[in-house]
Amino acid sequence: METLERIEADGGPDEPAPLESEAAARDARWYFQAGAAVATIIGLLYWAVVEEKIRSTLITVVITVVASAGLWIAANVLFDQVRSRWATFNAIAFGLLGAVLGVLLHGNGITVGSGSGFLPWVIGPLVGAAVLGTLGYVMTRTQDANQRLMIATGTGLAAGILIAVAVREQFQPGLDFVAIVVYTAILAAIGAGISILLKHSPVGGAMIGAAIGWIVGAWGGADLGDGSLVESLVATVVPATLLGARFGMTTDPDYAERVNIDTHSRATIFVGPAILFIFAMLVVPAIRTGYLSLLDRNSEEFVDGENYGSVFTDRNSLDVDNWTDMFTSVPFLIGVVLLGIAVVVGAAMKKRTGRAVEIGNPTVGPLVVGLLLISFGAFTAMRGTLINNLWWVVVVTFFSTALGLAIAVLADGRRGERVAKSIIFMPMAISLVGASIIWRFVYLARDTSTEQTGVMNALWVGLGRLSTGSGLPTLIVTVVLAICVVLALIFLSNALVKREYGRAIVPAILTVSLGWFFIRFVGIIGDGVGGFKIDDDGTVSGQTIFFVQEVPYANFWLMVIMIWIQTGFSMVILSSAIKAVPTELIEAAKIDGATESQAFWRVVLPQIATTIGVIVTTLIVGVMKVFDIVKVTTNGQFGTQVLANNMFDEAFNRVNIGKGAALAMLIFFSVLPVMIFNIRKMQQEG
Amino acid sequence: MTKRWLKLAAVPIALSFVAASCGSDDESGGGDTTPDTAAPAATDAPDDGGGGGDGDFGGATVTITGPERDDPSIASLNDVLGAFGEANNINIEYTGDADWEANINTQVQGGNPPNISYFPQPGKLADFARAGNLKPLTDEVNATVDEFWIDGFQLYGNVDGVQYGIPAKTDLKSLVWYQPQAFADAGYEVPTTFAEFTALIDTMAAADGPKPLCVGIESGQATGWTYTDWVEEMVLRLHGPDVYDQWVNHEIPFDDPQIQEAMQAPVDLWTEDNVFAAAGSIAATSFADNGQPLVDGQCYMHRQANFFAGLFPEGTVFADGSPEAVDVFYFPDINGDRPVLTAGIFAAAFDDDPATMAVMNYIATADYAEKRQAAQTEAVGGGLSGYLSAALGQDPNVYQPLEQSFLAILADAQIARFDGSDLMPADVGAGTFWSEGTSLVNGDVDVATAAERIEASWPG
Repeated sequence: METLERIEADGGPDEPAPLESEAAARDARWYFQAGAAVATIIGLLYWAVVEEKIRSTLITVVITVVASAGLWIAANVLFDQVRSRWATFNAIAFGLLGAVLGVLLHGNGITVGSGSGFLPWVIGPLVGAAVLGTLGYVMTRTQDANQRLMIATGTGLAAGILIAVAVREQFQPGLDFVAIVVYTAILAAIGAGISILLKHSPVGGAMIGAAIGWIVGAWGGADLGDGSLVESLVATVVPATLLGARFGMTTDPDYAERVNIDTHSRATIFVGPAILFIFAMLVVPAIRTGYLSLLDRNSEEFVDGENYGSVFTDRNSLDVDNWTDMFTSVPFLIGVVLLGIAVVVGAAMKKRTGRAVEIGNPTVGPLVVGLLLISFGAFTAMRGTLINNLWWVVVVTFFSTALGLAIAVLADGRRGERVAKSIIFMPMAISLVGASIIWRFVYLARDTSTEQTGVMNALWVGLGRLSTGSGLPTLIVTVVLAICVVLALIFLSNALVKREYGRAIVPAILTVSLGWFFIRFVGIIGDGVGGFKIDDDGTVSGQTIFFVQEVPYANFWLMVIMIWIQTGFSMVILSSAIKAVPTELIEAAKIDGATESQAFWRVVLPQIATTIGVIVTTLIVGVMKVFDIVKVTTNGQFGTQVLANNMFDEAFNRVNIGKGAALAMLIFFSVLPVMIFNIRKMQQEG
Repeated sequence: MTKRWLKLAAVPIALSFVAASCGSDDESGGGDTTPDTAAPAATDAPDDGGGGGDGDFGGATVTITGPERDDPSIASLNDVLGAFGEANNINIEYTGDADWEANINTQVQGGNPPNISYFPQPGKLADFARAGNLKPLTDEVNATVDEFWIDGFQLYGNVDGVQYGIPAKTDLKSLVWYQPQAFADAGYEVPTTFAEFTALIDTMAAADGPKPLCVGIESGQATGWTYTDWVEEMVLRLHGPDVYDQWVNHEIPFDDPQIQEAMQAPVDLWTEDNVFAAAGSIAATSFADNGQPLVDGQCYMHRQANFFAGLFPEGTVFADGSPEAVDVFYFPDINGDRPVLTAGIFAAAFDDDPATMAVMNYIATADYAEKRQAAQTEAVGGGLSGYLSAALGQDPNVYQPLEQSFLAILADAQIARFDGSDLMPADVGAGTFWSEGTSLVNGDVDVATAAERIEASWPG
């Protein structure tokens, strides 16, 4: 209504026509929405009438919705009474507390008469409500400290006796006094500590803590059913009296305090259910998983850290026997060469600018790529779930971030930026399982006597056929390749003649790689390139690459799937970060004589460094948990097992709950520091 | 004021939707089973096993899960169980579950098991039975099982002397699929001994034609099981049933030289010259993708169980004498003792409500087998059903000629043993035996290493 009035006031009498049409449009829209809503409801109801499952679900949903909405509104209404009707509030609130206590005791079959009809169901809660409700009401009627203490303690004592008498014989605890003393002492200390932290007197907290400790020690540490009525009394009366006394020590709040309670209660009513949910659905399962991880496969006996130990001693999770193989692996050797280059360039840069390594100077490229290749070489030499997970983290995080950044920078402000970015972002919309299935087809190999249907192998085998063939297509490709090599050579020599060495780099790389490819293609060195093999009798047949079956490189081809999906994510975020860098900064740098690339490395990159940090950590967390891709493509076969899939296998296929839980905890612990770092970073920014 | 209330009320409403959607599953699952115990006609209802029956269980619901989820199986199960349920006023719901192996664990641990489950692995059945999750058969059902099943098939439903499982489906594994016409054209004879079999493979490989064998062991989560079947066949053939039993029960270690010999045998046979692998490598080829190349004439033979009939391309004809017909021969033995490797599905109950046991009783009968075979034959459009039952007293006419030859091989067999990997603990039988076997076939490890690692993974 507010907006409508404003428009009427703004529009004035001069322009009635657009106003009317606008109102009509709004009306039409309203009718349409109402119609759609009614149609949906009628459709749902019809469906519910036809389908029994839908009906029962719908009824459940309606009941739950009405009940929770009712509870929530009732809670708000109840706390509305705090300011002016304190006595009513107190009576109702304590009455409810008593009723809940009654329901809890009865619902868990602890009190006499449990499980026998409707009446006992009502009696317990009613008695609880009456006792505590009266206490709540009476306490508002007296301000005298001594009287309050006596009333509350007395009620606590009475309630304790009542409960103890009502406890069924099967539940009377055989007391273990050591446990009682230990738990009472520990929890009293904790309670006192919390009180001191909250700047209250430690006595109150200690009393509540002691009461809880007594309950835990007396009931939790005992053999239920072994005890007598006396032991029941001891177990119940002490904490009940303690709690009553603690309540009796409070003063009746005055109006200002009540206003305070009223205000604070709203937040609790709002957040309470959410916290309860998180606690029940997240915190409790996490703690339980941690507990299960210390038990054996049937969750029966404690095995200490055996489950964790086995993760590190099992050769399926960690196998570094052949680590020396890394020194002979190709990526490692190339990495070492690149590091050498980095050292040389670094020395030169040190002479020129005083710093060997600096963001944006030529040392960084070979250094980073060299390190990456060396780690790659190391990963190919070692085997096991843990190694694979690390490998995933390094490769996927690096490539997703680097490619995302590259695309974001290169596309920034160019024509077709949106289209390009949309296409690259598209894989994000595909589920990991869907993407894995797509890529399984891409990687597919068929028997070489048939046509290849997987794109990669079709290309590879096709290339082999071209390279070893002698028909017209081979001739055409040879000529085109030769022209390309010559063109690259021309560019290179042009640049060299003009002494523009910076511009010579790309043509030089092109010349070398194209030239090498040409030499291989026409068979000057070797027999050709691509997927083919020549038998002893000279016949040429195709040869496929088993992308996802070849140990250990299968890992890499699975990572490609993840990179394909995640690059879009980092690109979009980095792109918006780059666009958020103030243009004044860049212009100022350019006026000071910075080149395009200097402006990027020295001005833009430091500005988006935090964003890169967030992306890297988010990726690490996501990749540590990788599951779907491995599950769908190889299911951990061919040396591609990762922690999450291993956890699933152990827990649900082999029913080794302890090991599964240990693996779950391991994933949790390895992700935890990164999560903490990430959250702190976000809070700092906020 | 009222408006604010409405807006604020939206929050718990949204929350409760979440709660409701979380909670509703259990209600529909758990609530239905309670009336069973109260069914009045319950105790005297189970009939004599002649089928049909006319008990009244007051519309009690019996839920059944199982790994069979292909359309013909689901259709025939719904047909057969539906008809029985209708006659006895039981509401029977069958759910075919692709991820049965993982889900049954979750359901049992969550305290929400089905009433009955079909078990493809007796090992898992035994695990649940020992954990107290399964209920033993009642005396009536036991009598029915005795009436329709010989001991050899009952055996694997028996845990520590108590019968829990009912054989509900029989698979015969020791079969080699081939095209008689292709053999005739090339002048090959069906081998009757293992020596003849290997000699034939050598002859075929030397000739410039189709490869001798089609092999593929890829099967998603269960990749490697085809290889384990070969190993079991070889253990039975090389060393006999006693060693087989010792091996399965872990009375000899997995890396025993005899077992290693059997593990190596298929690998030696599966050379590049001998095998057509549709996806390039044996480890990458789906076990289901071996029917097409056999029909297309890219290989001569394929060793696989009887259910493989359903995995041949549509329109394939079986054992009818026509030129393109596909037939089977017995996977030849070495010592002349004609062992067969079998597998099968067992039904076991998670409760002993009268309605549940009435359904169990029916599953044990020949009537169930016959009706299911008929329904499944109809569901696949008149060809091979993919179903087979060794229940006694079935009308053989419900089976096609090829299926009758399966039954003939079963009847001829002097030694029958159940698929060993299904009997081993899941860590091995559905774990390392598959995965290390795959690595061995893929050439990543040698046989000694693979056997040693499998042995190390044997629990306990």
